[in-house]
Amino acid sequence: MSGDSSKLLAKALTRLKRSIWVFHLNTGSCNGCDIEVLDALTPYFDVERFGIKLVGSPRHADVFLMTGPVTRETLPKVLRAIESMPRPRLILALGSCACGGGIWWDTYSTIGGYGKLKEILEKRGVVVDRVAYVPGCPVRPEAIIYGVLVLLGAVKQKVKHEEVKAGG
Amino acid sequence: MSIMKLLSIAARAKVVTRRYPFEPPVVTEGFRGKIEVDPKLCWGCGVCTRICPPNALTLKKREDGTLVLSYFMGRCIFCGMCAEVCPRGAITVTKEFELASLTAEDLVRNVKHDVVRCRICGRVIGPAVEMREATKSVGGAEAKYYDLCPECRKLVVARGIMTKVGVRP
Ligand code: SF4
Ligand code: SF4
Ligand code: SF4
Repeated sequence: MSGDSSKLLAKALTRLKRSIWVFHLNTGSCNGCDIEVLDALTPYFDVERFGIKLVGSPRHADVFLMTGPVTRETLPKVLRAIESMPRPRLILALGSCACGGGIWWDTYSTIGGYGKLKEILEKRGVVVDRVAYVPGCPVRPEAIIYGVLVLLGAVKQKVKHEEVKAGG
Repeated sequence: MSIMKLLSIAARAKVVTRRYPFEPPVVTEGFRGKIEVDPKLCWGCGVCTRICPPNALTLKKREDGTLVLSYFMGRCIFCGMCAEVCPRGAITVTKEFELASLTAEDLVRNVKHDVVRCRICGRVIGPAVEMREATKSVGGAEAKYYDLCPECRKLVVARGIMTKVGVRP
């Protein structure tokens, strides 16, 4: 991302603070993560207290929430949904499937999560402003809330790349 | 359902909403979060990579000859099987689940292993720590062959026997 567009994104994010609307798309998940999304909407976690709500069309959405490893069958629909989102395009990749293909990482019928989807989007010239990967199989509702906070920049992410030397 | 009935149910149930992220999450005893590989204990044997269902743990050979045990959290399904099979008990399952990240690289943890090369042909035999510890437990006459690859070891042993029985190799 160029410096210019990151400035624009920061500006857009300040406008988003009021409430974010989320479009949820199952791209071939086992439904585990989708149930957890539902869980996050129940009174127990009640994400609507933050103003987060699900919308029925990607054209109304600020965040594209994807679960599943993107099967070959859903790929064209996923692309259409992402392309029809207004900028800034924020993507929340929920679950091990969406993050890295999960248990289906090498099957013939899935493309292997957001990593591959990113390449396809880049090839088509679709700009995605920010992505948050939320690992979990399935993700806990708390992890979903945390993921949204990381995506919006409300908290700093805890994990970072590490390489240590073995020695015993 | 009439509104009165709804209100009476709500009054009975009271407030159930958890205040997370403003309070600590409820984490049960059996919950499994990300795994932690102890670099002091890990041998680099790769048993965990064979059992890992989604291949979140991989053992890769780098060009500089080192072996890297790589853990990609983004693909881990948090099954805990790696911790069960690790012969060294180097893997612990933590309760950490706040793993969201803006890049895929930040979800990777690597443990780098030096390797032992065959003293004759220079081929990589295995991770240094594992070789050293394995030699300790074998000991005796075997120990002097430990930095040889299987091929060169065969040659050296055959030569030794031939010299002993008086045949010129
Ligand atoms: S991450 Fe696990 S629970 Fe979620 S869709 Fe994939 S297999 Fe199902
Ligand atoms: S099984 Fe244990 S000792 Fe072997 S590579 Fe994995 S973590 Fe290291
Ligand atoms: S917990 Fe399961 S999926 Fe995760 S690294 Fe260990 S064996 Fe692989």
